[in-house]
Amino acid sequence: MNSMWLIAREEWRYWVRSRLARVSVLIFVGLIIASSLFSTLQTLDARHQRLHQQEVAEQTFLSQPARHPHRMVHYGHYAFRPPPPLAVFDPGIDVVTGQSIFLEGHRQNTAMFADARAQAKAGGFGILTPAMVYQILFPLLLIIIGHDIVAREREARTLAPLMGQGVTGITLYCGKALALLGLVGVLALPVLLVSVMSVLLGESIPAGLFLTLTYALFLTCWSALLLLVSFAFKTRGIILAVLMLFWLFGTLIIPRIAVATGDASFPTEGKILTDLRMKDDLREIGDGHNDADPTFSKLKAELLAQYNVGNVEDLPMNFRGVVASTAEARLTKTLNDYAEKRMERESRQSRIIRDFGALSPFLAVGHASKSIAGTDLKSHHRFLREAEVLRFGYVQALNEVHAGQIAYSDDINRSSDQGAEKRTRVDPENWRVLKQFRFETSGTNARLARAAPSLSFLTIWTLGLLGVGVLLARGASP
Amino acid sequence: MTISVSNLFVERSGKTVLRDVSFHIDKGEVYALLGGNGAGKSTTLLSLLGFIKPGKGQMHVLGENPETHPAKVRASVAYLPEAATLYPHLDAYENLEYFLGLAGFKVGQARLDEALDTVDLQQPARADRMESYSKGMRQKVAIALAVLRDAPVLLLDEPTSGLDPVAIDDFNRLVRSLAGDGRTILMVTHDVYGACQVANRIGLLRRGDMVGFFEAKAGQRIHTEHVHRAFAERAAV
Repeated sequence: MNSMWLIAREEWRYWVRSRLARVSVLIFVGLIIASSLFSTLQTLDARHQRLHQQEVAEQTFLSQPARHPHRMVHYGHYAFRPPPPLAVFDPGIDVVTGQSIFLEGHRQNTAMFADARAQAKAGGFGILTPAMVYQILFPLLLIIIGHDIVAREREARTLAPLMGQGVTGITLYCGKALALLGLVGVLALPVLLVSVMSVLLGESIPAGLFLTLTYALFLTCWSALLLLVSFAFKTRGIILAVLMLFWLFGTLIIPRIAVATGDASFPTEGKILTDLRMKDDLREIGDGHNDADPTFSKLKAELLAQYNVGNVEDLPMNFRGVVASTAEARLTKTLNDYAEKRMERESRQSRIIRDFGALSPFLAVGHASKSIAGTDLKSHHRFLREAEVLRFGYVQALNEVHAGQIAYSDDINRSSDQGAEKRTRVDPENWRVLKQFRFETSGTNARLARAAPSLSFLTIWTLGLLGVGVLLARGASP
Repeated sequence: MTISVSNLFVERSGKTVLRDVSFHIDKGEVYALLGGNGAGKSTTLLSLLGFIKPGKGQMHVLGENPETHPAKVRASVAYLPEAATLYPHLDAYENLEYFLGLAGFKVGQARLDEALDTVDLQQPARADRMESYSKGMRQKVAIALAVLRDAPVLLLDEPTSGLDPVAIDDFNRLVRSLAGDGRTILMVTHDVYGACQVANRIGLLRRGDMVGFFEAKAGQRIHTEHVHRAFAERAAV
């Protein structure tokens, strides 16, 4: 067995016999098991509930009795976003963005029921996801166990006899690196298990594998940092201080600077101001419920001319339905413009935070993890867009029913004439215009492509730290 | 000549710690470098192991230059640092197996016991972790390592520091016995009495300068009183 393996094996024997290492690993493994169990139960329950609620919402909509189609436009529907299988490990921004949207005519509602707003019921524990344990706590575990990986040899004066046996600095570095890699392998087991479970729940094998490799790379990056600092400084206290500073900056300070930079670069307008501006714009579109609104006089003139008739009652379709449809299309375009601008701004902010991953492996792994898990901002935006397509689709389909199946004269008299009111009720079969909605995670390739920049940062960090560490190790002396 | 050092100059952190130091040691000899704190004793050993690059001068161990061929030198040298603790979480056997493995040796249990018998480490203690060992016991295990490696050269850094008188006597006997087997031993120490007990020759170091030299006459030991006086006058800081 060569020296490198012997050194690695010896390090492992030390950890196995060290009470501090044993207790630390037990505590952290306990945390990861607890958070994984909690997260798994919570995510599976949420997934089941939301898929079930989606079906219930559809059945409820379809089972509505005969009525005026515009009442169904206002009756509304729900779009649910079930958590993707890997959300068991990293729920990502799902906990703050909300996972269901009430869809109705003339409005784009925001997503509701974010877990972060309901933390009290979980006693705050809900936020301790397995991903958080890996991203924040596992580097601390590596620091606790490995900060003295070389300093201990110096302090115990074993470095001199060790190197006196012909062990070079590089061999020592490789042996210690091998020991840490073994530890990384053990620490990566929980994420591997969760990934396997996710694959059983329907996730793709490459996605599960890449998530495991991402965290293994992150922990390897930290191991490389441990080694570099261990070879750069001689005393345990300084090594510990440098590593803790790095952790503090990488985990707490740089992410906050990144968020602040994102906000400052692409400031978000306040909701009240946005709503007021949007209301102004919507006012110009006109009231879709009022066919006499002057905004629609041009439309009216065009239709009368097109069908060569003198008044709307003679049109082959219900003018009120046409107005509703036109107003909805205009309104949706305006709402979509606002939504796209907001999402573009959020995406730019998110890209700035992602690019700060060049300075913080914590940010890099966080972004890569959410992207692979399908719980990132892009996935949330896709959900919002798909839900909007569903909303606009069924609202316009109902407006077509309104325009095509209800006579204008019945429509305008339904408040005063019971017979007319009855005739404006259309067959419930028409509710089938509602399309089935099942939100699916993006394809694996798309998710991996989104994770690629952050994975590159992590790789560069790791290779850089390993390279500098090797250079320092070459000149190592007792 | 097993070890030769000629006109050695060493600087550390911009300070000259060895200045024009020269000595040589023949096979089977015990050479003691005596000096107070900061005299440059340990620096001399680390230079001979190739861990410190000298500014000027020549060094050779068994004909190899440690500056240019440190691996070859270390392969033939057993080095005992001051207060050799080895690994406290391992027992004597595990420590020996580990260090021997690093040096490319593989020996059986019987050979380990034989070496531990040579250094007179009690049988019941051998399977105990070294965190429970006294300093003398740890030194014995470190010497056993040198025995097992069959290293022709031993470099000992303050080997008797902190040992009780009985342990020092045991250790001195062991050093003489190893030298009698043909091993070349360089020990650095501030223990005048111990150095005179075992050394064929003694060099006095003071703040990096060689300030005195004593040699035993054939069949005799170096006179402790002479060395003690010279040490007090020239070498003690």
